[in-house]
Amino acid sequence: MATTNLRKQLLQLALPLVKTHGFTREALSLSALSLPNPHAEPLRDTAVSSLFGEGDEARRTLTSAWIDEGRTQMRQTPSLNVRDALHSRLRYNEPVLKLLPEAFATMALSSSSFHLIDPQPALKHAASVADEACVISGDTTTGTMWYARRASLAAIYSTAELHQLVSPKTAYEFLDSLLDTSTKVKNSLDEAGLFATYVAKSWAGILKSRGVF
Amino acid sequence: MQTAARSLARSTPHLRSLAIRRSHTGPSRDSEGTSRTTHFGFKTVPEEKKETLVKNVFDSVASSYDVMNDAMSLGVHRLWKDDFVSSLKPGVKGPLRCIDLAGGTGDIALRILDFARENYADRETSVDVVDINGEMLKEGYKRFKKTMYHNTPQVAFIESNAQALEQFPDNTYDLYTIAFGIRNCTSVPDVLKEAYRVLKPGGTFACLEFSKVTNPLFNMVYDQYSFSVIPIMGSILAGDRESYQYLVESIRKFPSQPDFAQMIVDAGFATGGMHEGKGGAWRDLWGGIACIHKGVKV
Repeated sequence: MATTNLRKQLLQLALPLVKTHGFTREALSLSALSLPNPHAEPLRDTAVSSLFGEGDEARRTLTSAWIDEGRTQMRQTPSLNVRDALHSRLRYNEPVLKLLPEAFATMALSSSSFHLIDPQPALKHAASVADEACVISGDTTTGTMWYARRASLAAIYSTAELHQLVSPKTAYEFLDSLLDTSTKVKNSLDEAGLFATYVAKSWAGILKSRGVF
Repeated sequence: MQTAARSLARSTPHLRSLAIRRSHTGPSRDSEGTSRTTHFGFKTVPEEKKETLVKNVFDSVASSYDVMNDAMSLGVHRLWKDDFVSSLKPGVKGPLRCIDLAGGTGDIALRILDFARENYADRETSVDVVDINGEMLKEGYKRFKKTMYHNTPQVAFIESNAQALEQFPDNTYDLYTIAFGIRNCTSVPDVLKEAYRVLKPGGTFACLEFSKVTNPLFNMVYDQYSFSVIPIMGSILAGDRESYQYLVESIRKFPSQPDFAQMIVDAGFATGGMHEGKGGAWRDLWGGIACIHKGVKV
């Protein structure tokens, strides 16, 4: 559909401008100068509001587009496993790291006049990164494990991303340590589960030999 | 009527600079040469007749148009128009050159100029008020004579057809507004095509129009009010039941919000997402009784 393409095109053109102009209406406005047939002047404020929303809504639209682009880049970067996929996602944050706290704050601020904190965008962001990482790594879990795997990865990624905002250099090691810990916990739980199954089976055997059943 | 409109142009040097003439579109015929039809309220009429019929309606209601609008909408149309103009923020980043179609009585033009002046000390924004109906333009002109904008380059009144803005060059305006007017036009796609043509790249098309109420319960109440109360008000306040019956019927015949948004897209405009509300292609007012659609020439 033409409209979606034009709007998407402008959003795509605004993304490289985020580095220099931030997640702002100005970046959206300047995107028109990078069109194949560039405009003579940036988009007017009225046009930015018409296409992307009024006030901070336009900034939220731009931030969402940037987050979506992050997922696309994860898919395009050759990754063998979850670790590589999450590393590449953290690398995507690096050029705009200083701008992210404000961008995430804008996303979290509800657009209602009461300025309530809305956790949904943050949860959605973490969940979608975790899902993308699972898809890239060829995760084949089903049922409860499907949810457990994504929930744990979402929690790990969110923690690592928060760590990255305050200490960018150690973020990758921190992510690795969380993944290792998570793997260890998972292995321990798996082993404990297996042991519990053996114990249960032994007791069942003992009770059966005693003629209880 | 044309004489009256010309006299408006003669009254100020600025108006004189604009060629005032009524643009006619010839009767359209399909490939087999038979006359095409369109709707006039709930009636089906030949396309070439609708323009005259609509003109008759507005000739008839011109003098009492604002009174009736107040009576029919209980004054709410003023809030909608305020909302419409403030959402466009004229003058926020410098002066705009605006064209207000079907803007005869000057309601929107006056709001645009006031908004720019009061909020941004902008006295350079200008509005060309265009209407096919000379009587409506006369009302607008009379109203502007009471304001500071009279006899200034900030406003001009031009009689023309929204479907054929021949005297307006391409890529001229920053903002195109049409409020409660597009549903009266014979061919909405032609209006949108012309809007696209006269707007500069980056210019905004903004339309305020009656639309479809989305809540079924509210819709029932609204239907009762529209078909029972409004025509009666028309006969009491303006002595003209039929014209107001047409106005109500024409609202029902206008495309739904998504359909009209698609028509805007088909005309070449970029819009927000195909949904209602923030970042969307349209915004409902009062549950969809009226609706603001916007598009940008990219």
